[in-house]
Amino acid sequence: MGAERIDTRLLEELTEQSQDLNSDAVRITEEALGDFVDASREEQAQAAVSRRWWQRGGVIAGAAGAAAAFSSLRAVAATSSDDVKALQTAASIENLAISVYRTAAGLPFIKDGNKTVAAFIAKTTTQHQAHAKAFNAAATQAGGKAQNAPDPTYAAVVKKALPTIKAPADVVKLAITLEDVAAQTYTKNVSEVSSGDLRRLFASVAPVEAQHRATLLAVQALLAGNLGDLVAIPTDPAKLPAAAGSVGMPVAFYPTAKASPITEGAVK
Amino acid sequence: MSDQRNQWALEMSEAELTRLTGDMEAAHRETLPVMRATAGDLVAETRSGGQPSRPADPGRRRFLLGAGGLAAGLALAACSSNDKKSSNAPGGSGSPSGSAAKSSYTGDLKVVALAVALENQAVGAYQAALAAAKAGKLGKVPPAVATFVTTAMAQHADHAKAWNSVLTGAGKPAITNVPLSNQPATLAALGKATDVGAVAKLALQLEDQAAQTYLFATYSVTSAAGIATAASIAPVEAMHAAILNYVLGQYPVPDDFLPTDKAADPALLTV
Repeated sequence: MGAERIDTRLLEELTEQSQDLNSDAVRITEEALGDFVDASREEQAQAAVSRRWWQRGGVIAGAAGAAAAFSSLRAVAATSSDDVKALQTAASIENLAISVYRTAAGLPFIKDGNKTVAAFIAKTTTQHQAHAKAFNAAATQAGGKAQNAPDPTYAAVVKKALPTIKAPADVVKLAITLEDVAAQTYTKNVSEVSSGDLRRLFASVAPVEAQHRATLLAVQALLAGNLGDLVAIPTDPAKLPAAAGSVGMPVAFYPTAKASPITEGAVK
Repeated sequence: MSDQRNQWALEMSEAELTRLTGDMEAAHRETLPVMRATAGDLVAETRSGGQPSRPADPGRRRFLLGAGGLAAGLALAACSSNDKKSSNAPGGSGSPSGSAAKSSYTGDLKVVALAVALENQAVGAYQAALAAAKAGKLGKVPPAVATFVTTAMAQHADHAKAWNSVLTGAGKPAITNVPLSNQPATLAALGKATDVGAVAKLALQLEDQAAQTYLFATYSVTSAAGIATAASIAPVEAMHAAILNYVLGQYPVPDDFLPTDKAADPALLTV
């Protein structure tokens, strides 16, 4: 990865600032999760009321009213189930990312290589841990189980790729794939979940995964151009190749074609 | 954007740059049909009388009524100018009235109008930066910054076009200027910039503002197509911010979860 250009004191300061900002974001997300829990409980209570009404019998209520109540109950159950599956799949993607980054951090050419890359891997791991925690918290609070296993589809991809990893560029390539899948999945999930609080959760994580990908794409371009010494914070903007300014943002609208289905990582 | 000789120094082979650019263009083109379809859905929803595909939730009320404190953090406002005159030139603010009560954009369309205005503001800011660079007012411009500006500007123009198609499809006028009450301050801050770093900091504020506004929109609007559109643009603005942070010597992914403290207040709209 070339010469090291990192100012560790500055990196520490930036990390501290980042953690402060993160604390605020975590607090906001926790508030949103709390709202989601309240909303879920309310929905469950409403469903229970509907159920009791249904069980009392439709003799007085009439056929039309009974059908409407049944329809409402079924809709609530189905929607909640899909939400839990989406959250579990999201947690599974995060679990896999955490595993890959942890493995990468232990590789000699990462551990003893470019300090900025190592710091990025460490920081990104903690961010994925925060995402997994948030998704699992939402899943369990909605009555589902926490997902602690990795996404099975991409775990197979990772298993196949790991033996071929010989250099930092290989790690970066694999990480780009995982970050992209995460970002696409959550972008799609925003339109699939049933409450504003869950939309907020997915929509607050997707851009972070996209930022990971943007950074990795830029790093990939620098490594491809034998400019690993520019992978530094702060870097020297004047020395960055022109492509470094655009390669990290390849699309105007984030796609969802590669999004994982909500059932992919759901707890069986 | 170029250096003073109006040439860019390529520190990567032409072939590599061409390949990367080709990949980027292809990926970009892939997204456009989806975007057009989504915009079409949003237009259809709006034409059908604004029947929401999803139940409204309290977040929407918060978004439309307030978020007043959210925009307060926008440092651009701090770079204040006493110049309250509006401009009809590209990049200028629209109506000087600032009267949200008279807005012809209501409900979800108000959020769409805000989105167009933010996109136009970004396009205008990058255009102004290019002009300043060409005039030699920003010193030597690194080639990576030049390509960033060109690429980000094009993507913002695509976003504005998509949102404007929703407005015109709903029978509302397209927004081609920047009808935001903070636009004079933005222009003033840009005018004071004397180097690339100052422009990058301003651009970062605009990108953060846009990304966070779209995040807010995902849980504040009722239209399914509007939600999908906002969800597909927020990550792109966040990617812009990541690259800008990197160029500025800052950590590119500062937050575990995208916050909303810098989201734009719909009350900024002056039309």
